[in-house]
Amino acid sequence: MNVHVSTLDEKTRSSLAIESHSETEEYFINMGPQHPSTHGVLRLILKLDGETVREVIPVLGYIHRSIEKISEYSTYRQIVHLTDRMDYLSAIMNNWAVARTVEKAAEIETNERIESIRTIVSELERIHSHQLGWGVLGMDMGAFTPFLYGFRDREMITDILEETIGARLTMNYIQPGGVMFDIHPDFVRKVKEYLAYFKPKLDEYEDLLSGNPILQQRLRNVGIMDAETALSMGATGPVLRASRVPYDLRKIEPYGMYGEVEFRVAIGTAGDCWDRYYVRIEEMRQSMRIIEQLIDNIPEGKFLLKKPAAKLTIPEGRHYSQIETARGVLGFYIVSEGKETPYRAYFRTPNFHNLWSLTAMAPGGRVGDLVAIISSLDLVIPDIDR
Amino acid sequence: MESEELFQYIASLEAAARPSEKPSDLPTIEVPPEHFLSLMQQLREDPRLYFNMLQVHTAVDWVKKGIFELLYQLYSTKDRQSLRVLVELPRENPVIASVCSIWRIAEWQEREVYDFFGVLYEGHPDLRRLFLEDDWKGFPMRKDYEDDFMLEPGQ
Amino acid sequence: MGLITEKLPKMMAGMPGSDIIFTRMDAVINWARANSLWPLTFGTSCCAIEMMMAPGASRHDLARFGAEVARPSPRQADMLILAGTIVKRMAPRLRTLYEQMPEPRYVIATGACTISGGPFIYHSYSTVRGADTIIPVDVYVPGCPPRPEGLLYGLLTLQKMIRSGETVREPGIRHKPVTSETPEGITIEDIKSEMLALLEKDAVVDVRKAAEQMERPTGI
Repeated sequence: MNVHVSTLDEKTRSSLAIESHSETEEYFINMGPQHPSTHGVLRLILKLDGETVREVIPVLGYIHRSIEKISEYSTYRQIVHLTDRMDYLSAIMNNWAVARTVEKAAEIETNERIESIRTIVSELERIHSHQLGWGVLGMDMGAFTPFLYGFRDREMITDILEETIGARLTMNYIQPGGVMFDIHPDFVRKVKEYLAYFKPKLDEYEDLLSGNPILQQRLRNVGIMDAETALSMGATGPVLRASRVPYDLRKIEPYGMYGEVEFRVAIGTAGDCWDRYYVRIEEMRQSMRIIEQLIDNIPEGKFLLKKPAAKLTIPEGRHYSQIETARGVLGFYIVSEGKETPYRAYFRTPNFHNLWSLTAMAPGGRVGDLVAIISSLDLVIPDIDR
Repeated sequence: MESEELFQYIASLEAAARPSEKPSDLPTIEVPPEHFLSLMQQLREDPRLYFNMLQVHTAVDWVKKGIFELLYQLYSTKDRQSLRVLVELPRENPVIASVCSIWRIAEWQEREVYDFFGVLYEGHPDLRRLFLEDDWKGFPMRKDYEDDFMLEPGQ
Repeated sequence: MGLITEKLPKMMAGMPGSDIIFTRMDAVINWARANSLWPLTFGTSCCAIEMMMAPGASRHDLARFGAEVARPSPRQADMLILAGTIVKRMAPRLRTLYEQMPEPRYVIATGACTISGGPFIYHSYSTVRGADTIIPVDVYVPGCPPRPEGLLYGLLTLQKMIRSGETVREPGIRHKPVTSETPEGITIEDIKSEMLALLEKDAVVDVRKAAEQMERPTGI
């Protein structure tokens, strides 16, 4: 058995050597790890032929914090803290992934009030994550106004969540067996006010950015990925749905209150950057629809059924569950030996899998298109590196 | 498909694959490494199964038993069916066939597992470290990994 | 600037009255430095979002405090805002970025991870335990992540530090780092009024008085 383990140096050298007999000379440039349009510390090595991208080599690890190793020494409640810091734009949903796995494995019960609150705050967070994605996409395409608008409206949601949770970004809200705090008395009123405010605003934003011919030309027919490739690439979330695969865990294996509300799964038709952009816009509408159905009838009851100090063990075995975050499927896999800490904890993160599809989309396009593709993937790098 | 029916059908495709007795929350089969690649190919291509997503691939280091347990979790968008495939490898010389040619995401997932555990994948087009530097010593997710840098609480 | 801050002190040392000249010069130079800090944004993780909130976005607006244009290039920046965990692989890059910045340069470390490693101290094989193990830090802003107000307050702390302490006679001497703990109950308005008070105290020329004097005949 001879398995060859290569290095980055070798990889960049060998890919040049193959093409060196062609008439034009190909060359490498670095993009990142501190680059304004990579949304964090992503480093891409681009092999270019003129301005055409021939190959993209993502280099990761600039924010690899060894969360999985730390998890092996942490109790399940401590792991919830770490998940906040992976995909910090859907922190509550990350908490939910851990809580759901632990609840399923240890057979912890929840009630309807808990599930309603969880669903509402998750959908609020999905809206604010997409708002940020929308604003940053606008900025990457050369329009600064969406960034200001997106952040302004996002800030209102963080204010609402802060009243209840006490944090703006790393929430640590959903716990195994409930949520940390009961909702603030003003929560319902403020959410309703916000929805009334944001609904017309979203239409306005569409006039502002979606209708813009420059944006359309930069996004349409750029970075096309068909359904078969997307599935093989492991993409999930809006990236997969834009490629015409109606795969949304909220519909397929409903959790929380998603089984009892009406909403539609937004899918694209062509699988290009425009579809990925527009799926997110449509998801904001559907999220508002979900919140509207739930906000008026949050049932009475306790908000935390298991005391935070109580010992929490998981029976021996392999446990996995997954939820749909703003960026795709986040799965949490535990191998337990029946102790308070997991033997092995693995996070199947959406961005790790979504980023890989970049290597299928970018080759053949221009460098400028690459920026559009990265924007449309809406990446959060600490979620890739963990 | 019910799990019993699924197990029987898979056994008819590949006799070496048998239902796992390990505690697990999804239908799980185990397969020896030498029959692994042909089984995976059939799981992907068989029209009745058609597992077109490789959702999870990772490893667990059972240091006391001296094995790596590789996990492949498959999903079929056609039947909405999940299947977990477990493969046991010896810790001394962990070599297994790569499934990059079947699911393209495997290229990354396998690089991650190589980075963390040092499992070697035969037939992988570009096997190198993913998160850590190329000159990193050791494989950090192994249970016996030791490092001057790591801190214990109270140290 | 190099002429004034490096060569002039050597030339004038020992001359009668040089102390008074330098004290006045320090005041002017420090005032200018403190109010035109250009940040180099170094956002790696969660704190980056709050850092984007502070200078760029609508509500907080760092520009009114004299630190406006966030630069992606270290050569055009004099304040490094560290936002997010630093890991072993990033550490050499951070060092390079810091060394590429022109003097005088200041570093604000925001968030628990850049201060100490935060939640990733124990059992982590890759997280650097505090950015100050790699580069010198001037102001620490605690929080996980700190609110944008916290970052603004940290900037104010840095400005106070520059105003009070720097002198051209000792170039390259660093101050003791400070922790900028935002006092309880402070709002963005308080920071603004504190900032305005500082500016007023500093104002070398009182514009209104000067205008009045302009109108009067000088008698020549």
